[in-house]
Amino acid sequence: MKNRLRVLRAEREWSQADLAERLEVSRQSVNAIETGKYDPSLPLAFRLGKLFGIAIEDIFQDEQ
Amino acid sequence: MFCLPKNPATRRYLYRFLTTMMFYVVFLVGAVWAFPRYHPTGALAYLLAILPALPIIGGIVVVGLYLAEEKDEFQRALLVQAMIWGIGATLSLTTAWGFLEVFQLVPHIELYLVFPLFCVLTGFASGVLKARYR
Repeated sequence: MKNRLRVLRAEREWSQADLAERLEVSRQSVNAIETGKYDPSLPLAFRLGKLFGIAIEDIFQDEQ
Repeated sequence: MFCLPKNPATRRYLYRFLTTMMFYVVFLVGAVWAFPRYHPTGALAYLLAILPALPIIGGIVVVGLYLAEEKDEFQRALLVQAMIWGIGATLSLTTAWGFLEVFQLVPHIELYLVFPLFCVLTGFASGVLKARYR
């Protein structure tokens, strides 16, 4: 699944480690989600949305 | 210097796992030492013989606790995937070995070696998966 995490992070000047700390997950997890190798669960996706103050569909886009 | 992991679930896992391994060594050495000296019989013999298996079973429970306590879903998914690969590889290898044994083409392997084999294969799978997700 495509996502805008890298852009959203860059806008706030957060590193992957910064985002990981705010989400209470490992940096590897942030990297796996950001590179589209791992699709987060709905609860984690909602946490991301809440953290960036936007809707889930403004972070993740269905590739189909 | 030995560095403790920051993640509390990993830290608890490490403490618990090291504890079970300590018991394993004590029980194994105890059983191997006591059996030829005291020649236990009946229920006591069974109890003594099974003693080293109990910490290993405890180790499996410790892994289950880690999966229940780990808050990072990606890390959980990684371990679960690695264990599925580990289970598949262990069952494949031991089944193939079993048939080779039936036809006396390979020597007998003790069943207690299946668990360390599973650990090694799961560890290998974990390394491959971590590299893939990097």
